[in-house]
Amino acid sequence: MWRERLLVPVPGLLVLAALLAGIEAAVDAGLVRRALLPPPSVIGARLWDLLLSGEVLPPLLQTLGLVFTGFAIGTAIGVALGVAMGWWPAAFRLLEPLVELIRPIPKSALVPALMLFLGIGWTMKVTSVALVVIFPVLLNTLQGVRGVDRVMLDAARTHGWPTRHILLHLVLPAALPFILAGMRISLGLAMVLAVLSEMLSGGGGLGFLILDMQRSFRIRDMYAWLVVLAVVGLALNALFLAAERRALHWQPNARR
Amino acid sequence: MDAISLSVERGEFLAVLGPSGCGKSTLLQMAAGLLPVTSGTITLNNQTVTAPPPEAVYIFQQYTRSLLPWRNVRDNVAFAIEHRVGRRRAREAADEPLAQVGLRGFGDHYPWQLSGGMQQRVAIARALAAEPALLLMDEPFSAVDALTRLDLHALILDIWSRRNLTAMLVTHDVEEAIYLADRIALLTARPARVAEVIETGLPRPRDPIATREHPRFLELRAALLARLLTRHVA
Repeated sequence: MWRERLLVPVPGLLVLAALLAGIEAAVDAGLVRRALLPPPSVIGARLWDLLLSGEVLPPLLQTLGLVFTGFAIGTAIGVALGVAMGWWPAAFRLLEPLVELIRPIPKSALVPALMLFLGIGWTMKVTSVALVVIFPVLLNTLQGVRGVDRVMLDAARTHGWPTRHILLHLVLPAALPFILAGMRISLGLAMVLAVLSEMLSGGGGLGFLILDMQRSFRIRDMYAWLVVLAVVGLALNALFLAAERRALHWQPNARR
Repeated sequence: MDAISLSVERGEFLAVLGPSGCGKSTLLQMAAGLLPVTSGTITLNNQTVTAPPPEAVYIFQQYTRSLLPWRNVRDNVAFAIEHRVGRRRAREAADEPLAQVGLRGFGDHYPWQLSGGMQQRVAIARALAAEPALLLMDEPFSAVDALTRLDLHALILDIWSRRNLTAMLVTHDVEEAIYLADRIALLTARPARVAEVIETGLPRPRDPIATREHPRFLELRAALLARLLTRHVA
């Protein structure tokens, strides 16, 4: 059984390997200019150096810290607003126009404005990440809260649950599948905004390095950092999926 | 619903019998303080009901939707009192009602691992954990198979008499109403009115076979069915 499961990713990995070999051959044959795209083996060697020297760690931790902090803050705000708007009609009527106004703006377009108010430091970067995280989480939470089964709510009421207890122990867990779906969308967006704000503010981190290397014609380094970024995204997503499966263990279709 | 006046005496088992869609459940939800009344009043021990009263517990027809799927059986029973005594003490108190409904040892199961009848037993155990004086039951046996229904009837009667509960049951099942109740309130279809209140007058304890062969049972069944059916045609 586990052997079969181990074989599942093999075809996909073969395609990847073939692509890398193809690029390598194309560059070697002079079909692609080395200055634009060094052969994967060279990029790999540079990546290896970055890993061995530990050079990879500070920017990696900086970007991860930014993503996690912004993600946590944005999720907390999104869940809180989503629950409030889903539970109290007055809160919905009060906040819905504002949310609908800000939601469609690409949050990347707000980064320059944020820089005016918050400078180009940590605060601005965390704010821009949190801002993009809020909305998918908010909308999904809202939907989840509204979808909580009437019968379940009545069961809590007939047993005399106070509102606070209902929200914490019934509405939130019932809406959790929706909240997590929103968080998964937001995680990807958080990466985008983290990289972008690092590029624009120039204070280090993976996003900054990728742009900086390109501007100083260190193309090998640029690609090496790009690979680091890709692996970070992959790892974060896998981590999130594992956490999601754990949180939703009670759902019959979440067990595999 | 129109000009309904109905009272349940302490310790009594009252069945509200009526055709589907006549508003029986609405009536019960108003009695439970789950729905606001548009006109008229509900009183319990001389107090007007405006919110769910602590001495009454409602048992739902849709047991799958009234249990929390992310909680195991013990935590679903603890549901009844955890907001008053805390999660830990509520959990400890869950074993006794679980044993009473015949689910000793199922505390760690999740609802989806149990049959429909067992899930409704969990819901009953949860109601018992609240130590209510009044049980309000909304067709709690209509979604289980016939044999399980007989088991649950016996369970409810046993609990009702042992705990000296007052019970109000809403049902469209004539036999169920006669078998369980002391009195039956027959409702008319829309607008719902109390057509008649009938004393069943059957001896207790009830027996799943003997009671159903009792001349009075057969007489009541024929009379009630006749009234429900004629109304249905008209």
